[in-house]
Amino acid sequence: MTSPGTNRLAMGRFAPFAVLAFFALLPFWMTDQYFLHVLIITGIFIIAAISLNLLLGYTGQLSLGHVAFFGIGSYASALMSIGFDLNVFGWMLVVTPKPVWFCILCGIFVAGLAGWLIGKVSFKIRGAYFVIVTISFAEVMRLVALNWIDLTEGPMALNNIPPLTLWLPFAGETTFWSKVPNYFLVLSIAAICFEIVRRIVVSRVGRAVIALRENEPLAMSVGIDVTRYLLIITVISAAMAGAAGGLYSHYVRIIDPDVFLFIFTVTMVIMVVVGGKGTLWGPIVGGLLFGIMPEALREFAAPEVQWIIYGVAMIIVLIFLPQGIVPAVGSWLQSRRHGSEPPATPEPPGAKGAADPS
Amino acid sequence: MDQLLQHALNATILGGTYALLGIGLTMIFGIMKIVNFTHGELYTFGAYMMFFFVMVLGTNFFLGLVMAIALGLLLGALIELALLRPLRDADIDTTMLVMIGAWIALQNTQQFTWTGIAKSINTPFPLDPLVIGSVSVSWSRVFVFVVAIMMIIGTHMLIHHTRLGKAMRATFQDRDTAALMGVKINRIYTATFALGSGLAAAAGALLAPIFVVYPTMGDAVAAKSFAIVILGGLGNFWGAAIGGFILAFAEEFGAGYISSGYRDAMGFILIILILIFRPTGLFAQRERIG
Amino acid sequence: MNRWSKLATVLIGAASLIAGSAAAEDTVRIGVNQPLTGAVAASGNYVTDGARIAADLINASGGILGKPVELIIEDNKSNPKDAVAAAEKLIVKDEVPVMMGAWSSTYTLAVMPKLMEYGVPMVVETSSSGKITVSGNPWVFRISPTSEMEAIAFGQKLGQFKIEKANFLVVNNDWGRGAADEFTAMLKGNGIDVGVIETMDAKATDLSAQIASIKAAGGDTLFVTTGVEQLTLALRQFKEQRLDAQVITTGGSSSPDQLIEQAGAAAEDSLHILFFAPWFPEKAPHPEIAQGFVKEWNDRGLNFAGLTEGFRGFDGIMTIKAAIESANSLEPKAIRDALWGVQVQGINGDISFIKQGPEGQESGQNQPNIYLVTIKDGKVASAE
Repeated sequence: MTSPGTNRLAMGRFAPFAVLAFFALLPFWMTDQYFLHVLIITGIFIIAAISLNLLLGYTGQLSLGHVAFFGIGSYASALMSIGFDLNVFGWMLVVTPKPVWFCILCGIFVAGLAGWLIGKVSFKIRGAYFVIVTISFAEVMRLVALNWIDLTEGPMALNNIPPLTLWLPFAGETTFWSKVPNYFLVLSIAAICFEIVRRIVVSRVGRAVIALRENEPLAMSVGIDVTRYLLIITVISAAMAGAAGGLYSHYVRIIDPDVFLFIFTVTMVIMVVVGGKGTLWGPIVGGLLFGIMPEALREFAAPEVQWIIYGVAMIIVLIFLPQGIVPAVGSWLQSRRHGSEPPATPEPPGAKGAADPS
Repeated sequence: MDQLLQHALNATILGGTYALLGIGLTMIFGIMKIVNFTHGELYTFGAYMMFFFVMVLGTNFFLGLVMAIALGLLLGALIELALLRPLRDADIDTTMLVMIGAWIALQNTQQFTWTGIAKSINTPFPLDPLVIGSVSVSWSRVFVFVVAIMMIIGTHMLIHHTRLGKAMRATFQDRDTAALMGVKINRIYTATFALGSGLAAAAGALLAPIFVVYPTMGDAVAAKSFAIVILGGLGNFWGAAIGGFILAFAEEFGAGYISSGYRDAMGFILIILILIFRPTGLFAQRERIG
Repeated sequence: MNRWSKLATVLIGAASLIAGSAAAEDTVRIGVNQPLTGAVAASGNYVTDGARIAADLINASGGILGKPVELIIEDNKSNPKDAVAAAEKLIVKDEVPVMMGAWSSTYTLAVMPKLMEYGVPMVVETSSSGKITVSGNPWVFRISPTSEMEAIAFGQKLGQFKIEKANFLVVNNDWGRGAADEFTAMLKGNGIDVGVIETMDAKATDLSAQIASIKAAGGDTLFVTTGVEQLTLALRQFKEQRLDAQVITTGGSSSPDQLIEQAGAAAEDSLHILFFAPWFPEKAPHPEIAQGFVKEWNDRGLNFAGLTEGFRGFDGIMTIKAAIESANSLEPKAIRDALWGVQVQGINGDISFIKQGPEGQESGQNQPNIYLVTIKDGKVASAE
C-alpha cells in the first residue's frame, strides 16, 4: 500500500504557493465566463475529493456514501438561507432566513454531526459491510430528501437559494452573484481544506490512523484507540464535504434530491483514486483532470461516451498504476533524478502523504 | 382484507425475482470475496438482450429468454477473465473500485447503444389476469415467479449435486486447501462469476416484459440486491433467498400502508437496522467480517 | 517552473480554445432545453423533433431577418439541476438571445431564476404548473395551458361523463401535483367526490402498492398524470390488478398511439386530454398548418405517436420566429417586448399572450385549445 513518496525535492515546499498563485491570477487573464463556471464547479468537487481522500486515502476506509455529507451540507445550508417551518411532534419550528455565511457554517456543522453518527454506527464493521452501509446511508438520505416534501420540496427542488453576501474590505457589502467572486471563494476554501489535511496528516491523530491503515491489529496492540481516531477523522472529513455542499447550493442556487446520487460519490472516488489516494495532491490533480476533461471532450464525445472513458480510465489506473498519477509521476521523477530504482525500503508509515514530493 | 391479501400476493411474486438477484450476488461474494457492482448492469443487459431478441429480431419469446440468459453468462465470464483475474491478489477495496469502473463503463455503453428512451417488450401471455378469490395476478407475473423459483432450485442442485458445485463449496470453505486438493481455482472463479451474472441477467430478462427497459434500471436493482444479501448474510445461499422475500414484503407493505414514496427506502433502512443490531445478517452461519 | 502549473496551463489552454469558439453572428441562435435522456426522454425528443421541423421550414423560406436559424439543443437529462446547467450553458457560452424549454414544470421553475438573472426570455412549450406564470417572472411566455385551464376546459365537458367518485394517480412533481390540485378543485366544485391522491416517483416501475390503495378507496374514475412511459406501465398494471375505473389522462403527453402499441388492450377505453389531435388535423383551427406539419413529420419517418408532443416544439419555435421578426433585433430584451404583441397561427390554434402574475412583473400566458380522444378497438377516436 505504501507509495514511494519523498520530500527530498526542495521545490516541494513552494509548490502549494506556486499553484495557489497561478489559480489566483487566472481570472485576470481568463475572461471566458463559462470556463470560470467550469472551474468553480471543479473546485467544489475538489474540496469534496480532498475530504474523501482524508477518509479513503489516509485511514483506508472505503466510504462510498460520502455524497451524503455533501448533500446534507447543501440542504442544511440552503434551507437555513431560505427559511422553513417544521412541525416537530406538534411543535412549530419556524426558521427565518439567515445570512448565508452563517448558513454555510450550519451546513458544515450538520454534516459533521452526520459524520459522527455514521462513524459511531459503522466503524463497528469493516470491509464489504462498511462499504454497503455507507452507500445505504446516502441512499436513505436521498429518499428522505425526495419524500419529505414539506421541508425539502422533494422532486420540485429547492429554488431561489440566495448567493453569499459578505462584508469585504474595499468593497463593503458584496453579494456573490457573478463568477469571479465565487471563484475566489471556492479557491480560498479549497486552499484552507488542503492546509487542514496537510496538518492533520502530520499530527498525532493523522499518524495514528495511517498506522491503522497499514496494520490494524498492530496499531491496536500498541494502544491506538482505533474507533476514536477514526471518528475524529470522519467528522472532519464530513464537515469538509458539508462545506463543499454549502458552496455548491449557494453557487448553483438550486438543489434537488439528486445531489445525493451515488454517481457523485463515484466522481469523487475517481478523482481521488486516479489522482493518487493518500497523497495531498492526488485529489487536486484528479479533480482538475476529471473536472475539465468533460468540457474538453464535450465537442468530440457524447456524455455517455465520456463516462465510458472515465470508467475505463479508472480500471486502467487501478490495474496498472494502483497508487494513482501523483505517486507514479513522483517516483518516475525520482528514478530519473537519481538514475536508479525508487527507494527499496518502505517509508515509515507516518511520513507518507505529508512527504509527497509535489 | 382484500387489500392485505393482494399486497401479500404481490410481495410473494416479487420476492421470487428478488431472491434470484440476491443469490447471484451472494454466491459471488461468498466464493470470490468480491462485492459485485456490475450486478445491476448484468440485470440491465439481460433486459436489453430480451428486447433485442424479441422486439428487434422477432425471436420467439421463450427462445429470447434463453438467449438473453446465455449471453448474460457469457458477459459475466468475460468480465471475470478480463478484469478480475489480473486482480486476483489485490485487496478487496481495489477490486471494488475496479468493479465500480466496470459498472460506469457498462451502464454508459448500454445508454450509448440503446439511447435513453425506455423500451417495452410484448408478452405472449393473456392480458386478463389470473383471479383467485378476491385477488388477482397477471399470467406474465406468474410465469416470472415460476421460472425464478425453478432457477433457484436449479442453482441449489448445481451447488449440491454436481462436481462443479462441490468444488465451489470447497473453495467457499477454504480456497487454499481447495487448491491443494486439486481444485482449479481460476476455473471455479470464472464459473461462479458467470453463474451469478447469469442469474442477474435472467432476472432482467424475466422482468423486462412486465416493466420497461432503460439504461439506469439496474441501479435500484443493484441496491436492492445488496440489501437482500446483507439481510441474509454475505455468502449465505438460503439467507439470500429468504432475504429476497423479506425485502419484497417490507417494500410492498411499507408502500401500501406507510407511504409509497418510501418503498425503495425499505431495503436501505433494513440494511442499516440489521448492521446495527445483527451485523452478520439474520441467518449467519460462518461469515467473516472484513 | 512548477510542473503542476505547467500541466494546468496546458489543460486550461486546450479547454479555453474550445470554450472560446462561441457565438458566430451569422445565424439566429435559438436555445432548446429539453429532456433528451432520462425518465421523460421520449417526450423531450419529440418536442425537439417538432422544433427541428419548424427551423427547417423557416430556413427553407429565407430564415429570420435574412439569417438562417440555428437551434442549439441541450439535454436537461430529465432533472431540474441539469436543466439549470443547460440554461446556463445556452445563455453564457452560446449567447442565445431567446430559448424554448424546459418540458416539465419542475425543470421550467428551476430555470426561471436564470432568466431573471441574465435577462433572456423563454417560451415554455409544455409545462402546466400554475406557479410558472404567477411568480412575477417577466421573461416567461407560456404557450401550453395551465393545469387550471385544462381542468376548467374539461369541466365544461363534464356532462358527457358519469363521474361520482374520482381518484388520482400522479407523478410526484409540480406537474402531477398541480394537476391533482386543480382537477380536485374543479371536481369538488361540481359536487363530485374525490377519494385518494396517490403519487409515484417519476422512475417508479412497480405501481402495485398504489393500485391496491386506489382499489381499496373505490371510485368510478381515475385521473392519471405522468409521462407516456410510466402511463404504459400504469395501464398494464391496472388491467393486471383488475382496476376497472374509467381512466382519464391529463397534461396532453399521453401519446395514445404509443399506448396502443405498447400497452395493447390495456389502453382500451382510456380517455385522453390532448392539445393536438393529429388523427384529425382537418379539425384543427388552421388545418393547412396542422396537415403540413403531420405530413412533414411522417415524411421524416418519425413515430406518429410523437405528434401529440412534437407540435409543441413547432409552435414554440414559430412563436419565437414571429417575436424576433417583429422586434427586428437579436437583443433579448427587444425579443421579450415583441413577444407581447405576437399573433401566431400555430398547430394548436392562435397563439398570443395575456398578462398573468403581479403587476409590473407579468408573465405571458397563451389560451390554448384542448381535445378529448379515446381509444376504441385499438384505434383513436374523437370523444367529443
